[in-house]
Amino acid sequence: MSSRLRRALVDAGGALVFPLIAIVLSFVLGAFIVLATGNNPLTAYAALVRGAVGSPTAIGRTLLGATPLIFTGLAVAVAFRAGLFNIGGEGQLYIGAITAAWLGVTLGFLGALSIPIVLLACVVTGFLWGAIPGILKARFGAHEVITTIMLNYIGIYLTTYLALKPLRTEGLVPGTDAIDFAARIPFIGLGLGRANYGFLLALVAAVVAYLLLWRTRRGFQIRAVGLSPGAANYAGMGIGANTVLALAIGGAFAAIGGGVEVLGVYGKMTVPFVTGLGFNGIGVALLGRNHPAGVVLGALLFGGLASGAQEMQFSTDVPLQLTSVLLAVILLLVTATKLVELLFGKRARALAGARLEKGLG
Amino acid sequence: MDEIFGAPGQLLASTIRNATPLVFAALGGMFSERSGVVNIGLEGLMLISAFAGVVGAFLSGSAVVALAFALAAGLVFALIHALMCVTFEADQIISGTAINLLALGGTGFLMVSVFGAGGTSPRVEGFGEVPIPLLSSIPVVGPALFSQSVLVYLMYVMVPATFFVLFRTPFGLRLRATGESPEAVDTAGISVGRMRYYGVALSGLLASLGGIYLSMGILSAFTENMTNGRGFIALAALIFGRWNPIGAAGAALLFGFALAVTFSAPQEAIPNEFLQMIPYVLTIVALAAFGGRAIAPAAIGKPYRKE
Repeated sequence: MSSRLRRALVDAGGALVFPLIAIVLSFVLGAFIVLATGNNPLTAYAALVRGAVGSPTAIGRTLLGATPLIFTGLAVAVAFRAGLFNIGGEGQLYIGAITAAWLGVTLGFLGALSIPIVLLACVVTGFLWGAIPGILKARFGAHEVITTIMLNYIGIYLTTYLALKPLRTEGLVPGTDAIDFAARIPFIGLGLGRANYGFLLALVAAVVAYLLLWRTRRGFQIRAVGLSPGAANYAGMGIGANTVLALAIGGAFAAIGGGVEVLGVYGKMTVPFVTGLGFNGIGVALLGRNHPAGVVLGALLFGGLASGAQEMQFSTDVPLQLTSVLLAVILLLVTATKLVELLFGKRARALAGARLEKGLG
Repeated sequence: MDEIFGAPGQLLASTIRNATPLVFAALGGMFSERSGVVNIGLEGLMLISAFAGVVGAFLSGSAVVALAFALAAGLVFALIHALMCVTFEADQIISGTAINLLALGGTGFLMVSVFGAGGTSPRVEGFGEVPIPLLSSIPVVGPALFSQSVLVYLMYVMVPATFFVLFRTPFGLRLRATGESPEAVDTAGISVGRMRYYGVALSGLLASLGGIYLSMGILSAFTENMTNGRGFIALAALIFGRWNPIGAAGAALLFGFALAVTFSAPQEAIPNEFLQMIPYVLTIVALAAFGGRAIAPAAIGKPYRKE
């Protein structure tokens, strides 16, 4: 085996230590919760797996659930590579969703031709929206964790206003007009149910994120700023510009996610709109160690759990919210470095690589 | 003016009611953050307590039991946060986010398990209004300020009380020092970890008062995700008030006023959505104006490890 390949495998194995421990521990805890509800954990988990990957429709449901999470996961991961926490995925996704809901109807007469234009518009609005916390940080020193949280709610209320007032349509469900079916992202077919080509777009986005971060000069700068701001600054890389750019690119990814949800799943933006995709993107990114490939795996796990939950609730009487609890526990544990050290000794922790550490000052 | 703001007395009463959960949670967040632990899990702490309080009232019919349930739930969730951030050195932002998701998913799960269905819980006996004699008969201001639930009166007391604890007691001094300079605290022979546990635990207890006021002071039932961002508004109030009890309470009152106007103003005057944005926009503006630097406790967000 070439030494390079071996190193890559060891790196990948090390990177998986934390996520795997977090996943296993959360499922063990989940088994006790299932027991407490008077059900057999094995039956419940079997139903969960069946519901996630047991049939083409189940797989389709998993892909459908994973799609927006890949985008919001990338939104977190790209910013994280610059040493920034992007908690704003939720609001950024909403900005993309309203962009798509508005342009999708307006350009609907173009049919399928409108799809790339609409998604490109999502990139633009998401980029601009995502740049706001970047500018606030670079120019005024306002911490991005707080500003992105605040911008989530500003984005949600802004899009709610737009969907309820200027773009409101007549109908029972409050929200925007439905986009013409010809102008929506088509289903994949192959028995995969409602899974649409948005999933393939998400995979493309992950590849783009990888190439951007590891194969371009700008990506190198972004990562350098994240790894060592002092050194990057000394090398003349401009921390401010890279901060703005990393958050803006993150915003663009989340916004395409919102656009794909509207064009591929809902066909419009309703009020209330789907919630939690942005926040779950944080879990997806961390589980995937902020690497695009890991993000895809993390999103598939999240999507699979959500999809399997329905089958689990159907065949046992365990409420499907159990999986939300499992995901929260995974997120809780995934950065608990000391826990791994206590359980498996210092070697495991060293193997698991660089720790997450960030101040708020 | 009256068309937009309603009668002044009513608006003031509504401001107080909207501000109360924010004040509790913001004061709670202050103890945690002053000790050096970021707490973006206030939303989840409030939500789980709002639920636990209703469960307690549902099972016992007693407001005291309900309060005990809420405090216990807030404390347990806060201790999970402390365990992760202090003992296991997990990332504080991530742990806080997980606490929020855990409370959201957990209450959804338990709604089905305990009450048999999601959505809204059965009605329980809430905290009624207890008018204070004499004070409540002051024109306009009296009924608004002094014809409220006991939890509101507790909130009035809590603001100066937290100020006193934080700035006039040895405990407060140690807590603030732990957030500013943990090395110095450690050198003085005080356990940084223990102080941080205290700070986070206090944040859970205070946030739980805000939570139970939502479900049993304003309403008499639990509704899924009923906090609806109030934990983040409280966080905003904490920052806007510069990590000071008086400042945070003032900011919470201001944001409570914005919420009160949201509920009373007719849609044609100002769209609700723009009023609802006010706390978040103001906080961003404030952060930009303060420069974001040198306001937060210096050691906030960093796990402390002995060298």
